[in-house]
Amino acid sequence: MNSQKIISTQKKSPKSLQKTLGIGLTIGMTLLWMFALAGAVYVSQNKLNELFDSALAETAQRIMPLAVVEIINREDLTQAQQVMAFKAHNEPLVYIVRNNLGQILLQSHNADPAIFNQTLLKGFNSSATHRFYGVSAVQDTLHIEVAEPLTQRRDAIIEMAVTLLWPLVFLIPFCFIGSWAFVHYSLRHVLAYRDEIESRGSSDLSLIKTESLPAEIFTISESVNRLLDRLRRALESERSFTANSAHELRTPIATALAQIQRLQQEVSAGPTQDRMIKLESTIRGLSNLSEKLMQLAKAEGGGLLSNEPCDLISLLKLITNDAQRSHPETVIILALPKNKEYRSAIDPDAFAILIRNLLDNAIKHGAIQNGAIQNRVIKHTEKDQPIEISFSANGLLTIVNDASVIPAEILTQLRQRFVRSNVSAQGMGLGLAIADAIVSGTGATMTFNSPATGRVDGFEVSVDFSTIN
Amino acid sequence: MRILLLEDAEGLGEVIHDQITDEGHAVDWVQSISHAQASLRTTRYDLILLDLILPDGSGIDLLKKIRHAGETVPVIILTAKDQISDRINGLNAGADDYLVKPFDLSELSARIAAVSRRYAGNPNPIINIGTLEVDLTKHIISREGAAINLTAREWALLEAFIQRPGILLSKSQLEDHLYAFGAEVESNTIEVYISRLRKKLGKDQLETVRGLGYRMGSV
Repeated sequence: MNSQKIISTQKKSPKSLQKTLGIGLTIGMTLLWMFALAGAVYVSQNKLNELFDSALAETAQRIMPLAVVEIINREDLTQAQQVMAFKAHNEPLVYIVRNNLGQILLQSHNADPAIFNQTLLKGFNSSATHRFYGVSAVQDTLHIEVAEPLTQRRDAIIEMAVTLLWPLVFLIPFCFIGSWAFVHYSLRHVLAYRDEIESRGSSDLSLIKTESLPAEIFTISESVNRLLDRLRRALESERSFTANSAHELRTPIATALAQIQRLQQEVSAGPTQDRMIKLESTIRGLSNLSEKLMQLAKAEGGGLLSNEPCDLISLLKLITNDAQRSHPETVIILALPKNKEYRSAIDPDAFAILIRNLLDNAIKHGAIQNGAIQNRVIKHTEKDQPIEISFSANGLLTIVNDASVIPAEILTQLRQRFVRSNVSAQGMGLGLAIADAIVSGTGATMTFNSPATGRVDGFEVSVDFSTIN
Repeated sequence: MRILLLEDAEGLGEVIHDQITDEGHAVDWVQSISHAQASLRTTRYDLILLDLILPDGSGIDLLKKIRHAGETVPVIILTAKDQISDRINGLNAGADDYLVKPFDLSELSARIAAVSRRYAGNPNPIINIGTLEVDLTKHIISREGAAINLTAREWALLEAFIQRPGILLSKSQLEDHLYAFGAEVESNTIEVYISRLRKKLGKDQLETVRGLGYRMGSV
């Protein structure tokens, strides 16, 4: 049980396909660009090394004849000589000329003998810090070795890589924006499909347009439409069954009630008539119970919203007028905004059931004399207090009936089935449960207040229809 | 009043028929639309009690046809269809009232009386005719405070005159008003009831136009 709760609370919100594709494409492009950059740097590095090596070899080849002439023309062949610079300059290439014994005969002005190889090597070789090229002349009696610092090559490569990398820094945001825009454009039909599903009310079970949807989504949308169609037919069957059941039940009940009323007229007062009165009362109870159960079935069975918004104010007038005619002993005051209508998506029949139940509740509990307080029994005050119904221009219905103050803990229980605040009142405790089921099913909100607003007693029901989408 | 009752449920139709007949109205009870149409072709009714779900069609369709033909006869729908949309459809089709089953017989009587008064042009249930005061709801008639007892037939006859104040009603019109199809009406029945009414209400209340019919003074 606990693990189920943990799993349910850890449920992740779904990922955005647009966001995933945008980020994925951007990362892919960036990686591709990086691989291309690495390849370019690698190739460039090899080419640069070849060029630098060629320059190194060419330098040795060019200096060697000059060095030979210089050394041979000396008086003391073993005396070392350092070539002086004409003027101060940076000397990336340095060289030394040594005899076959390793004695230095000539060196560039900035050459450090320590960096050179101790043995006289020919051709290219490298140390940790330098690249060397060595060549011998005069029957291997003279050897020149030219050195070039590796940092020079490395700096060139880094400079080139950085030059290539800079555009990427600007390219990544552009790439992300471009990818997002392209994905957004590509998914426009999917997004329109999502918006259409989101925007429709819970009662709208009409088919969703599937035109222009991509092939990947098309089959899903077809399945959704088939499901909606089945759901709509199932709900229609259910509603039809409820309506037919109501008809099939009401007619025999009406017959039984009418027959018993006729019999009462034909017999004189006495035990027989008393039994008939009880029988009539039982039939009425049966009628009310079947009525309430069918209303509850409808309230909980869906179909509480309509595709065609209807004017609740004119419906309220009609229903209130009916209630006034059915209960002429009760004074009902109806306050409506002048010259206005309030259209809502609530199904007119569901609205009528809701109002009838709220009115029945107000009439039953608002016109009862002095009940006693016992557990959930509420004391009601004087009879014939008017029931006040108001409907505001912004969709707030309020019904106020006379009653003693109902404790808060009982107010919270009134939405439950078969719970009554006053057991001395006739009723099954289903009216407010039916009202609550309708309100919950339509997305409206219902609140109970006792005492009623602006009064020291009374019971007030408020239903806000503005919250219905 | 001459009332057409269209109700297919045997038991319920029978009770409604008996109840309204006992109140002095002439009731023709039919159980299908085809029979109702046949009755409507031959008889002028003061009221129709109409069920909606019938074996050979919808009561709403029949009502639409009646209104389309220009008939202004009052119609009260008696139905088990309690949804507000059904009610609105019924009223929009031209019904004058809508009563959902199960209902009290007393409520049905009250609705019949209310619709009837509305069509007579006087929705007030208490009317005065000379020195007479008539409460149409409670079926009480008095002269200068003294109650007058009328039988159901006498009351029905009085209602026929009240509904058409100052208008001459022929003997056959009054017979149609009081008796349903198939009822055995003796040749002097109307004269007998007129005579009784005169005795109870006063000779001056009902005028006889020889060879043409009877007329009651203005309400």
